[in-house]
Parts: sequence; C-alpha cells; structure tokens
Amino acid sequence: MAKHVPTANGTEMTGATALVKSLEAAGVDVMFGLPGGAILPAYDPIYDSTIRHILVRHEQGAGHAATGYAQVTGRAGVCIATSGPGATNLVTPLMDAAMDSVPLVAITGQVPSAAIGTDAFQEADIRGITMPFTKHNYLVTNPDEIPGVIAEAFHIATTGRPGPVLVDIAKDALQKMTKYNWPTSIKLAGYKPKTTPDAQAITDAAALIAQSSKPVFYVGGGVIKANAHAELRQLVELLGGPVVTTLMARGAFPDSHPLHMGMPGMHGTVAAVTALQKADLLITLGARFDDRVTGKLSTFAPNAKILHADIDPAEIGKNRHADVAVVGDVRETIAALIPALKAALAKNKPDLTAWLRQMNSLKSTYPLGFDTPDDGSLSPQLVIQRLGQISGTDTIFTAGVGQHQMWASQFISYEHPRTWLNSGGAGTMGYGVPAAMGAKVGAPDTTVWAIDGDGCFQMTNQELVTCALNNIPIKVAIINNESLGMVRQWQTLFYDSRYSNTSLESKRVPNFPMLAESMGCVGLSCELPEDLDKTIEKAMSINDQPVVVDFRVHRDAMVWPMVAAGTSNDEIMIARATAPDWDSQEL
Amino acid sequence: MTISRRQHTLEVLVENEPGVLARVAGLFSRRAFNIETLNVGPTENSSISKMIIGVAVEGHSLEQVIAQLDKLVSVISIKDVTPKAKEVHDTQPDYQN
Repeated sequence: MAKHVPTANGTEMTGATALVKSLEAAGVDVMFGLPGGAILPAYDPIYDSTIRHILVRHEQGAGHAATGYAQVTGRAGVCIATSGPGATNLVTPLMDAAMDSVPLVAITGQVPSAAIGTDAFQEADIRGITMPFTKHNYLVTNPDEIPGVIAEAFHIATTGRPGPVLVDIAKDALQKMTKYNWPTSIKLAGYKPKTTPDAQAITDAAALIAQSSKPVFYVGGGVIKANAHAELRQLVELLGGPVVTTLMARGAFPDSHPLHMGMPGMHGTVAAVTALQKADLLITLGARFDDRVTGKLSTFAPNAKILHADIDPAEIGKNRHADVAVVGDVRETIAALIPALKAALAKNKPDLTAWLRQMNSLKSTYPLGFDTPDDGSLSPQLVIQRLGQISGTDTIFTAGVGQHQMWASQFISYEHPRTWLNSGGAGTMGYGVPAAMGAKVGAPDTTVWAIDGDGCFQMTNQELVTCALNNIPIKVAIINNESLGMVRQWQTLFYDSRYSNTSLESKRVPNFPMLAESMGCVGLSCELPEDLDKTIEKAMSINDQPVVVDFRVHRDAMVWPMVAAGTSNDEIMIARATAPDWDSQEL
Repeated sequence: MTISRRQHTLEVLVENEPGVLARVAGLFSRRAFNIETLNVGPTENSSISKMIIGVAVEGHSLEQVIAQLDKLVSVISIKDVTPKAKEVHDTQPDYQN
C-alpha cells in the first residue's frame, strides 16, 4: 500500500478529493462501502487513494463490517453509501453502533443542495433519520467545510463515550472546487468529554470499597473500549472480590480467573446473577444497568450501594441511583483507584472470605451446562463449546442474535479483550457475518469465526461474496436448528408451545453448503456428534477461502439459566420450572 | 383535581445551525421528557441561539434531563433558571363525575 503523503492546506481540489484527502489525514486505512449517484463524485478520487475500499453487497454489511473492524482494532470504522436507500440501509448499523458505543464514521452522499427538500430521486433526510442514534451528525453543502467536518467526526466518534457519527454531503459540494483546509485543532464549544476523574470521587470510591463486605465488580463493555483490562485485573486482585462481566464485556477479565463468576443477566450464571443480588456494593465499571442485566429494576441488587464509574455523565443515575459516581475514562479511573484503594485497605481491609465462599459454592454447584439430546443428534451447545476449545483463545468470535449468541457467550472461554463481538444493545440479527468480515480485515492474521443462526445467516450472508472476492477468509458456523430459536424458546415457555412463524425449515431450504459454494466459499456440513471435531478441524485447515459449516443441531435445546423478561433476578431458573436450591445455600 | 409536579426552566445555549431545534425536540420526545414551553431566540453572538425550555419533571430527575441535553454536541451550556418556588400547584377543573 502506498504511504500516505499529507496534502498541503490551500491546495485546490474538488470537494470529493478534499473528502478523500481528509479521510487519509484522519488515518483511515480501510472503508466499507457501495457507490451510487449522489456519492459518485467521491468514488473517483477513491480510485486513486491509499485507502483500501471494500465493495460490499449491501450497505448494512458495510456498516456492521465497520463496527467489526472498530471493535477489534479500537479505531474508528468507516462506511460509505449513497443517498436515499443507500443511506437508510446504514440506519440499522448506526443504531447498533450507538447502542454498543462503537466508534463509527458513516459518509453518505446527498442529492445536490438545490434539490434538498424537493423529494428528489433518492432523497432521504438521513441527518434527520439518524439524529436519535448518532452521537452527532452533519449535512454539508459547502465544500470548504468538508475537511473540518471530517476531522470533527473522527474526534467525536473516538473520544469520550465512543459512538457513530454520520456525515451527509450534498453532491454539488463534492463536485465544486475548494481549497483543502485540514484543521490543526478542533474546537467544539458543546463537546468536552471529561476523561480524568475527580480526586475526591476516587477517594470516596476507595472508602466505599474498603467498607464493603460483599463487593462485586460489575464490569461492562466500557472497560474494553477504554483498554482497561490490565488495570482491571490489578484492581480486582488487590481487593480479591468477585467479578461479573456483561455480554459486552466478555473478555475484559479472563474467564479462567478464579474470581470470575461469569456473565450476569437474563442468561447469566447463577453465581453472577446471585452475586449482584446479594452484594452490598456494586463496583460498576463502564456498565449501564441495562434491563437485560438488572431484570425487574426495583428488585435489582436490593442491598447494594452503587459505585458507578462511567465516561458518560448521563449514565449516572439513569436507571439506578449512584451512591458514589466517578465520571471519567474508566482506565484512568481504575488507575487512580488502585493507589487510593491500597491506602484505604491499609486502614481497613474487609474480610471477604465468607462472601467468596458463598460465591464459589454457587459457582461450583451451578456451573453452565447442557443436556445431550436423547436421540443422538448434535447438541448446539457442544458445537459451540468445541469451536472454542479447538480454535483457541486467540480466536475472534462474532455472533448473530439469539440462542446461538447466548451459547457463544456462555460456552466459549474468553481470555482476552476484543475477541468477542456481538450486537448487545440493539440485538441485530444479521450482525455476525459482516462483523466477522470487518474483524478479519482489522486482524488479518487472527482466526475469525462467525457463530450464526440459520435465521441470522439468511439476513446478511451475501457479504460472503465480498469476503471471497477480497481475500477475507472468515469462518462461519451456522447453528442450524431450522428455527428462529430464541423466539421459539419464548413460544415454548410463554405461548403454550404454539410455534407461530418461527419454523424456517432451513434443514431443507436453502442448502447452506451449496449456497456457500456458490458464493466462492467452502461449504461443509455436520450432523453427527462423532463428526464434530473433524469438521471443525477441516474448517480450521482452510485459510485461503471463507468456510461455511452447516451444523445441523437438535431443535429443542434451550438457553439456561434464564431470568424471564420483566421478572426479578431472584426468580432465575436453571431449567424449565427449576429454580436453584436456595435452601442448601448459605447466603 | 390538584396535580403537583416539579416544573423547571432551563436556559440552553445552542449552536445556531440548521436542525438544532429538531435535535433538542427529538431528544425530549424520545426520552419521554415533557416540554411545557419552548422559546428560541438570537443572542448577541450570531453563531449562538438561546432556548428557554419549561420542563415538567415527572419520572425523570432534572439531572437526567440536563445530562442528556448536555450530550448533544450542539448544546453549549445549560442553566437551571427556575424561579424560587420549585413546587408548582395547578388547580385544574375536575371533569370526572
């Protein structure tokens, strides 16, 4: 790849060239997109750019790929689309990125400025549409503003609480001449994220921790975003308290660590859910008290004081009152907390022995598990567990949304941050394949598995064509239970097993291996437990082409444990109509 | 029927740019905050507009309303300029028989 040569300010060029030069100046090395009329002027200078442009088959794929790239690299992902339907196809990935705090910059073409507001061909008010789920967005009609806006967009997307920023540029602004003007500094009167925590808040936080006898580290995705995993481990080991990692934080703390109680929430472990419920203090780090974690909010962690550290002041007290709030970058916060806690513990070190004994008892009594199907068919959980064990802890896993996602969060051991990518807040079916594509582009030397459902796969699998043609050899495991499995599980549990419109018949149509082969991938299939390991090993041995494996699994497997929606975490079930045996537990 | 609610007046300085009213109104709408009154006018600085927003805080804390408003990049500053009496008691006719 040619080395980027900075462009001198004042150089005359089109707005389109200024856009591409600005993206280069922002450090972009790859973007995912698909051209059309309004954005076409930008695609001419893209032809000459040092930036690798990956031509997707659907703009939604571009958006999720940019997210996958961002989640793996920690840098902003970039996607580009034309006006109207091109732009609206980015709506889902933008909403997804907003919910999971992913730094994303989306560039869209807009109809010429004179035509805006006339219902012109392929006109959509994408700035208006994306206001609710972009961190900020722009409509640019003056070519002179393009470099400054692009610089701001990357600044906003990647600082503070990361998030998506959309830049909509009118076609005539791309076509007109301008003098390139990359800003030397960015001044935004209304945007000054606070990254360094207040000293007093750190002191108060340390004192609160030192007073607690049943503390729990409630770790959220912000810890991974802030690259705070090493500091987190130091802090945890300093106190010696139990840890739970949310769906967005899997990998922030090693699953193999003895203090790790697992994932909390609707499908969390008994130990993790109970740790939160029985705690006297939640040390909340980059987490946001999402309803999937808290269950019925009024009964969540009823005896716990709340220490809430987050970079977004609006998360403090949004769902749960914070006794001590620390606003700032969570890595800086933890780094400041370590010496403060050392000092506080020197005066008063709480004895956590009894608390840890209780938690470890729950952890050993109620480990995650699954039944082997009586009929000898393949268990979906076993497929996922073996995928994790055979491909190893450096592998990056992405998932779609549903049962397979929950099993992938439960039965794979995550030891490193940025190895587990999923759509947590938005719950976007179809995230898995394009996110894996972006992840593989961001980490080309790492094995990337998309664990997908047969429903999810049928939403975005066309990006396998993109992967095949662009040397992006991802691996896809379709957990094919021929159903919208999680919806079917809810129908089993809450709708009297009336399976309205959840049967996809995908063991009959489509033929996934043939579909994969038609898209330039290797297609494999596995239906019997005895073929499982060798099929995974075969897939692992192919590294010059994308591989798709159709794992034809037992249909009726369910995700357990489960806290039913709207109920209290205290009502956690380990199997259908089966609660943990609380009487035998010392709590 | 006498209803009691906490009404606050916020003075919000915003960038004077297209779409800023939609940003603020959209935020109130999607977060289910209640706007009682809204006035927008110029300031001495032509790049800055002033919004006076009367907000009835029910089910949300004022802190949350302010924190969410402050997240908007176009919002420069927010001041609570509520007159002294914080509790406003409205007497409305009771139409229920």
